[in-house]
Amino acid sequence: MASPIRILTAVPICDGHDSAINTINLEFIRHGIEVVYLGYHRSVSDIVRAAAQEDVRAIGISSYNGGHIEFFADVVRELRKQGAHDINVFGGGGGTITHDDAAIMARKGVDQIFFAGTSLSEMTDYVRKQYGKPRKKRTHAKNPDLVLARRLTEIEDRSGARRRSAITGDGSTSDRRKRTGRVIGFTGPGGAGKTTLIDELVLRFLNQDRHSRIAILSHDPSVIGQGALLGDRATMINSQTDRVFMRSMATRGQAGGLSPATHDCLAHLAQSNFDYVIIETVGTGQEAMPFQNDGIIDLTVLVMNPDYGSRLQLQKIVMLDLAEIVVVNKSDLQRARTAHSEIEQRLEQNRRGQKLIDTVAKRHRDPGVDRLFDLISADRTR
Amino acid sequence: MSKLGQVVEAVEKYNQFVLDQVKRARTDEKFGRELINRWNETKEKTPVTHTPTGLPLPRLALPEIDEPGEIARYLFGEGLPGEFPFLNGAYREMYLEPTRGIELSSYGKKISTNGPKEKPTGDDERPPEEPTRLFSGLMLAEDTNERFHYLTQHQRTHRLSTAFDGPTLYGIDSDADGVSGKIGEGGVAIDTVEDMVRLYDGFDLGSPNFSASMTISGPAPIIMAMYIAAAKRRFGSKVVSKLRGTIQADIFKEVQAQNETIFPIEASLRFLTDMVEFTTREMPRWYPISISGYHIGEAGSTPVQQAAYTLSNGFAYAEMFAGRGIPVDQFGPRLSFFLDCGLDAEYIALARVSRRIWAIGMRDAYGAGPRGQLFKLHTQTSGRSLIAAEFKNNLTRTAAELILAYMNATNSCHSNSADEPFTTPSEEWIRLAAHGQAILLEESGIFKHTMNMLSGSPGMKAVERAVEAAILEEFREIERLGGVLAAVEDRFQRSQIQNAAHRYEQQIYDGTRPIIGLNRYRNGTDDIPEVKLARTPRAKQQLQIDRLAKFKKKNAGKAKRALDKLVDVVERGENCFPALLDAVEVSSLGQITDHLQEVVGRFRPMV
Ligand code: B12
Repeated sequence: MASPIRILTAVPICDGHDSAINTINLEFIRHGIEVVYLGYHRSVSDIVRAAAQEDVRAIGISSYNGGHIEFFADVVRELRKQGAHDINVFGGGGGTITHDDAAIMARKGVDQIFFAGTSLSEMTDYVRKQYGKPRKKRTHAKNPDLVLARRLTEIEDRSGARRRSAITGDGSTSDRRKRTGRVIGFTGPGGAGKTTLIDELVLRFLNQDRHSRIAILSHDPSVIGQGALLGDRATMINSQTDRVFMRSMATRGQAGGLSPATHDCLAHLAQSNFDYVIIETVGTGQEAMPFQNDGIIDLTVLVMNPDYGSRLQLQKIVMLDLAEIVVVNKSDLQRARTAHSEIEQRLEQNRRGQKLIDTVAKRHRDPGVDRLFDLISADRTR
Repeated sequence: MSKLGQVVEAVEKYNQFVLDQVKRARTDEKFGRELINRWNETKEKTPVTHTPTGLPLPRLALPEIDEPGEIARYLFGEGLPGEFPFLNGAYREMYLEPTRGIELSSYGKKISTNGPKEKPTGDDERPPEEPTRLFSGLMLAEDTNERFHYLTQHQRTHRLSTAFDGPTLYGIDSDADGVSGKIGEGGVAIDTVEDMVRLYDGFDLGSPNFSASMTISGPAPIIMAMYIAAAKRRFGSKVVSKLRGTIQADIFKEVQAQNETIFPIEASLRFLTDMVEFTTREMPRWYPISISGYHIGEAGSTPVQQAAYTLSNGFAYAEMFAGRGIPVDQFGPRLSFFLDCGLDAEYIALARVSRRIWAIGMRDAYGAGPRGQLFKLHTQTSGRSLIAAEFKNNLTRTAAELILAYMNATNSCHSNSADEPFTTPSEEWIRLAAHGQAILLEESGIFKHTMNMLSGSPGMKAVERAVEAAILEEFREIERLGGVLAAVEDRFQRSQIQNAAHRYEQQIYDGTRPIIGLNRYRNGTDDIPEVKLARTPRAKQQLQIDRLAKFKKKNAGKAKRALDKLVDVVERGENCFPALLDAVEVSSLGQITDHLQEVVGRFRPMV
C-alpha cells in the first residue's frame, strides 16, 4: 500500500487567520493525508526549512492579511534555491486573493489558488490527485538536510510496505560504532507536556554552545483513514532553527506510541552527525513500553502529569520501572506534591537509582527544566 | 468552587428568586398591589412619541399584562431598560433621534470608538452621539491621521477607531526580518512614540469630545504607554487623567481565537493587570479592556460559545483585577464588551441574555455596585457571514444583522461593508454600510419611536431561555476543567471553536446551511467589486524603517538604561507600567517586546 501523502500547511508571518486552515487540515486528515501543521504567523524561512526537513510533497499556505503575491513567491524561490524544486506550493485566502493575483502567482510557480467558495472536497481531491503520484529521485539538493530528509522518507515508505508490528531492531542499522549522537527518548501520557518540555530543553542545548545540532523525531497518532495532524512544530518555537532537524511522524496504524519506521529512522539519525537525537512518543497508556528492545536509546525520560489518578494507577505504569529519569511536569498544579512523593516511593521500590525531577515546562527559565537539562547533558555514561 | 461556579449558582438562584417573586405577587396581596401600582405608574410616565403620520406611540413598549405575577416576572426577571437585571437594556434611553443636526454630507465617513459611552445620548453638555462606529488604519501614521481628519471633518465629536498593521499587532518593529511587505498593510504601522504623536496630530486628546479606540491586544500595555507618552508630549502630564478611549487588550480571546498573543498567557495577563491598575487609578475615563466575543464568533464558534466564552473571560478578568486589589467598583465600570452579530436565530437575544448574566454575576458573585453591573456593548455585524460569491447580497445580510443587533439594544454598532471578503473596505461600500445604519435608525421607524419595537416576542423569549441554559452549561464545563485559565491552557475553547468552524463549513458545502448565491440560487456569473488595493508603497515602507533607525540611533544610550530598568522591574514582580511609560520615550515597540520576552519568554502558540 502506498504511503499517505504528506503536506505542510501554514499561515504567513503577521497573520493569525487560522480558521480556514484549521478546517482544511481536519478535512485533509479525514481523507488520509498527513498534515504537518506549522501554525500561524510563520516566516518564509521557517516554512521552507520545515518543508525541507519534513520532506513533504507540497506546502499549503493560507494567507489573509495581504502581501500574498510576494509571500508565496518568496517561498517558491527559497525552495528552489535550496534545491527542493519538487516541493510544490498551493493555497488560498478567501476573497483576499483575486483572480488576477492568482494568475501572477501561477507565473511565479504557485500550483493552485483556491478561491472563496471552493468546497472542501475539491481541495482534498486536488491534493490527492496532484500530489499522490510517486516522485522522481531528487538530483540537485544543495542542502544536506534535504538529503537526510529524503532518506527518512524512503525508510518510512519501505517500512510501510513491510508493515512491521514492532520496532525491535534488526541489528544492521543500530551498529553502535557508527553512532554519533546521544539518543534520548521521551514518553508519557498525553497532556503531560512532553512537547513543551523538549522544546525548552532544546533552547538550553542550543544556548550551551554555538555549533551542536539536534535532531528531533516527534510522533503523533494517525486517525482512521490513515491521515494525521502533525502539529508539534507549531508549538515548538525554539526548535525552528537550522540547528534543529525535526521530523514529524505519524504512527500509521501501529499501537504503542511510535511508527513502524521509527526504529530505522532513529538508527539513521543516530549516525547522522547530530549531538543529540531526541525522540518523542505520542501520548501513551499505562502499559506502553515504546522503547523496549530498542537498542538505540541511551536515556529514557518518562514525563508525567501530576493528575494521574490514584496511587493504584501508578502501580500499573510500566515505564516507571524502565525510565532512567521521571519528570513530574506541571508541578505547579495542586496535586504535584502528592504526586512527587507517591512516585518517589514507587521508584524507591525499584532500587535502580532512577532520578525524579519536578518541572513547570511552560514557565520561562524554569529551574526544574534547568536541573533536567544538567542531568541529561552531564550523563555521559554511555 | 471557582468564581465561575459561583456565577452559575448566582444565576440559578436569581431565577428561583424571580419565580418566588411571581408566586409572592400572586399570594401576598399587598405586594401584588404595589407591583400593579408601579406598573401603571411606569406606563403613565412613559413618554409618547409620534410617527411622521401623527400616530402616537409609547417610547417604551410594555407587555399587555395586569396580573401581579406576570408583572413580577417582567420587572424582576427582565427589568425595565436601565434596571437590574438589564435584559432589556443597559440604559433607560436608547437610539433617541441619534443624529439630529448632523449634516448629511458626513454620513458614511463616520468613525468612532469601540467603547460604549456611559450614556449614549449623554445628558450633559455633550451633543447626542450616533451609535454608528467605523474602523480605520492604513500605511504610516501620517496617512491614517489624514484619513482621521477627513472622516471627522463634519463631526463635533471625534471618536477615532484605530486599526494597526501586522507587525504592530505582533509587537515587532518594521525593521524585523521578513516583515517589510507587511508594513502599513491592513492597519497603521506604529513603532515608536513619535509615530503615535503623528497618528493623532491635530486632535485634542484631552477634550471630552475626543476619544481614541485602539484595536490591539498582545502588545496593548506597550501601545497604551505610547499613547499616554504621546499625549504628554503634546499636552503636558495633566492631560493623562482626561484621556478617553478604549484599548482592546483582551488576552483570553487572543489565545482562543485571534492569535495575537506575544507573551506566555500568565505574563500577558500580568502586564494587562499592571496596565489596568494604572489606568483605573490615573485615567478614570479610559476603558482599559474590551472583552471581545467578536473574534471568537468570527473564528467560527457557535453563538452560544461566543457568549459563554466572552462572559466567562470577563468574569475571569474581574477575578484577576480584584485579586490585584483593585476595588470592583473601580474596575467594574471600566469594562466594556464587544460582540459579533450574525444571522443565526440565537443572535436575536444573545446580547440580551449576556447582559443579564453579567449583571447578576457581577452583583451577586463579585459584589459590584450598579455601575459595575452594566454590560456595555459594542456590536459588529458578522464579517464571516459576508461572502465573495454574488457579494452584493452582503448588503442584505448586514442589514438583517443590524436589525438583530439593535433588537438586542446594543450601545453602539459597526456595520461591515459588502466588499468585506476582498479587501480593506473601499469608500463606496463603507458609505453604503454606514447608510444602512442611518436608514435603519433614522429613516425607518423601527427603532426611533418606540425603542423596543421588536422586543419581547414569544420567539425571542424562547431563544432567551434556551440560550441562557446553554451558556450556563458551557460555564459548568469550564468550571469542571478548573476555571477559565485552566481551560484556556488546555486548549478547550480553541478546540471547541475549531470544531464548530469545521461543522459550519461542512454545512455550507453539504448544503444544509443555505447560503444564497453560493449553494442556492447561484447565477454562476460572479461579479466582483473593483478591488482597489490600498497597498503601502515601497518608499513609504522604507521611510518607516529609516525613521525607526534614526530613532534607535538617537536614543541608543538612553534606551539601554530604560530597558534595563524595565527588565529589572518585571523580574522583581512589580507593576511594570510606570517603567513602560519611561521605556516608550526612548525605545521602540520591538525593543520593548524583545526585552520583556527575555524575562518572561515568548508565547507558545497553540494549534
Ligand atoms: C474570520 C476573520 C477574522 C477572524 C479570524 C479568526 C481566525 N482565527 O481565523 C478575526 C476576527 C480574529 C480577524 C481578525 C483580523 N482580520 Co480578518 N477576517 C475574517 C473574515 C471575516 C473571514 C475569513 C475566513 O476565515 N473565512 C472562512 C474560510 C473557511 O473561507 P474563505 O476565506 O472563503 O476561504 C476559502 C478558500 O479560499 C480556501 N482556502 C483558504 N485558505 C486556504 C489554504 C489552503 C492550503 C487551501 C487548499 C484552501 C484555502 O478555503 C476556504 C473554503 O473554500 C475575512 C473577511 C471575509 N468575509 O472573508 C476577514 C479579513 C480576512 N480580515 C482582515 C483583517 C484586516 C483583519 C485584521 C488585521 C484586522 C485588524 N487590523 O485588527 C485582524 C488580524 C487578525 C490576525 N491575527 O491576523 C481583512 C484582510 C484585508 C486584506 N487582506 O486586504 C479581511 C479580508 C476583512 C476586511 N475586508 O477587512 N479576522
